[in-house]
Amino acid sequence: MEYISLFVKSIFVDNMIFAYFLGMCSYLAVSKNVKTANGLGLAVVFVLFCTLPINWVLNTYVLQPGALKWLGPQFAEVDLSFLSFIIFIAVIAAFVQIVEMIVEKYLPSLYASLGIFLPLIAVNCSILGGSLFMQQRDFTGLGESAVYALGSGIGWYLAIVCLAAIREKLSYSNVPAPLKGIGITFITVGLMGMAFMIFMGIQL
Amino acid sequence: MNTNSNAYTVIYTALVVVVVAAVLAFTAMKLKPSQDANAKAETLRQMMSAAQIKPTDELYATRNAGVLQLYADNIDRAYTIGLDGQENGTLSTDLKKIELIDKLKPQNKAIKDGGEATLPVYVFKSGISVIPVYGAGLWGPIWGYIAFQPDGRTIAGAYFDHESETPGLGAKIKDEAWFREKFAGKQVAFGSEPLFNLAKNAEQSGAANAVDAITGATMTSKGLGEALNVWFKAYEKHFSANFKAEEE
Amino acid sequence: MDPKLKETILNPILKGNPITVLILGICSSLAVTVQLKGALVMAISVTLVTGLSSLVCSLLRNTIPMRVRIIVQLVVVALMVILVDQILKAGEGTYAIDKQLSVYIGLIITNCIVMGRIEAFALGNKPIPSLLDGLANGVGYGLILIIVAFFRELFGSGTLFGIQILPAGYIPNNLVILPPFALILLGCIIWAQRAWDKDLQEK
Repeated sequence: MEYISLFVKSIFVDNMIFAYFLGMCSYLAVSKNVKTANGLGLAVVFVLFCTLPINWVLNTYVLQPGALKWLGPQFAEVDLSFLSFIIFIAVIAAFVQIVEMIVEKYLPSLYASLGIFLPLIAVNCSILGGSLFMQQRDFTGLGESAVYALGSGIGWYLAIVCLAAIREKLSYSNVPAPLKGIGITFITVGLMGMAFMIFMGIQL
Repeated sequence: MNTNSNAYTVIYTALVVVVVAAVLAFTAMKLKPSQDANAKAETLRQMMSAAQIKPTDELYATRNAGVLQLYADNIDRAYTIGLDGQENGTLSTDLKKIELIDKLKPQNKAIKDGGEATLPVYVFKSGISVIPVYGAGLWGPIWGYIAFQPDGRTIAGAYFDHESETPGLGAKIKDEAWFREKFAGKQVAFGSEPLFNLAKNAEQSGAANAVDAITGATMTSKGLGEALNVWFKAYEKHFSANFKAEEE
Repeated sequence: MDPKLKETILNPILKGNPITVLILGICSSLAVTVQLKGALVMAISVTLVTGLSSLVCSLLRNTIPMRVRIIVQLVVVALMVILVDQILKAGEGTYAIDKQLSVYIGLIITNCIVMGRIEAFALGNKPIPSLLDGLANGVGYGLILIIVAFFRELFGSGTLFGIQILPAGYIPNNLVILPPFALILLGCIIWAQRAWDKDLQEK
């Protein structure tokens, strides 16, 4: 039950895009049509779902204050949390690179549709943001962090596909010239964000 | 030189990692004492603001050393209690090595799950005792310090802080002086339920343990109300046992 | 001054502004614009990080193996960010601000401006122009941040830098402080800039 609540919350209430503005750069750049948005969205879900639990393990057993206790009592005081940014980003970058290589070699058809987005993802803030939120909120277990990762990823996916659909329609409308393109997109995202705010405070 | 050979790549990456780790470890070690001092002084400021030692603005204008001095001058004794309400440790109040329980998260977990807790009580020379509270707001943790009059149930003052509540809404628990001032003079209803009532229009009831929630910040207020009740409950045994004598 | 150098410095502030024209670095920028103070600190931090990481990457540009380029760049950027974060935490006056910015300081690492400038400029240019390019992009970013924060703090709380500006009777507009409004405001800034400079308009 707790998992379901966390899952729903991370999709709608704590939506990566509308509540935290994370992953905005690629969100705005790759939302011109639904097909590419779909590809990037799926790639984000996948990478987030895989890297966040890895980072959770690292955070719990290596980085946080007292995490090295399992090595012996003399390590109980060690606090490596100042290394967390660098470790998290290294895990993400390395993971993305490995996945890219594997997909390219064994699943060429998937690579053709997803591959070009993978390098973009290493610098997608929502991935690192997910790991940082995981650290800040102290998830208690691997399951919890995996559920959170999946939910946030789906939330991001939902947001980008919605925006892409709106932008496809938007290209037929008569927008003032200076507002065309990115200007109106910003305002659209703002309005979508307001709509998403109705989910705030949902209790499950 | 061929910068694309495998050996070069591996050695280069290893070198970068070693250099970066060394630089980071060095700065982290060098800066750790002043970071800890900042965190400690921050806790003391919040505590003394609640205990009405000095106005909040003045405390925040005081530098770290002054804050430590002020605390050492005003504190009577500090100790910790367990979940059974019995004293289980003392905290040093000596200026040179002030001890605080400022990691509230593990304590909160101990209260909820049962387990070994060390809940701090800071007794000032004025007779006011300060206890912390901790809980979850809308976006992240919220915490605060509640100061009790010598009778152990009338609130003398409060201070709240948060990590990432919405500025202008939930963040008002920290930013608005009128909100924390509302707590002064209220009484925690030890021995009955609920211990404290923080809700919309709660003050209309006229009860001594009721404070109105902040309009528009439903989730933060709810979290704060829960935090207050959970922590008051944990201190209930200790307070009703140790402060009874002073009641009429 | 050398006209090319001048171009390097001035371009990112207006014509090639990283936020309004290149649409980079939106992620961490909008959440810290509720108050001017936070926006100012964020602007300074980002400027320092872009400047320094461009400098370092430019110094290393001939030695970085192509295959691990992105990782090395990320590590350099992360190093700078951690240094900024640690220093903010250690300073007596800056501690409170660091607390307020929380995770967003860490997210400077993935701020696309930093990586974007390294890829597009620092890897192909000498250290000094790279440093200037990085700093100028940080300033261009900070400028937008401060404009947005100015409006949000003024109308959202009636204050500027925490000092009451609007008369006491002003009821703060809560919509302005909520995240979506930052996007709408940014849309309007882009609108204004493009109405003024027609070259930037999209077809």
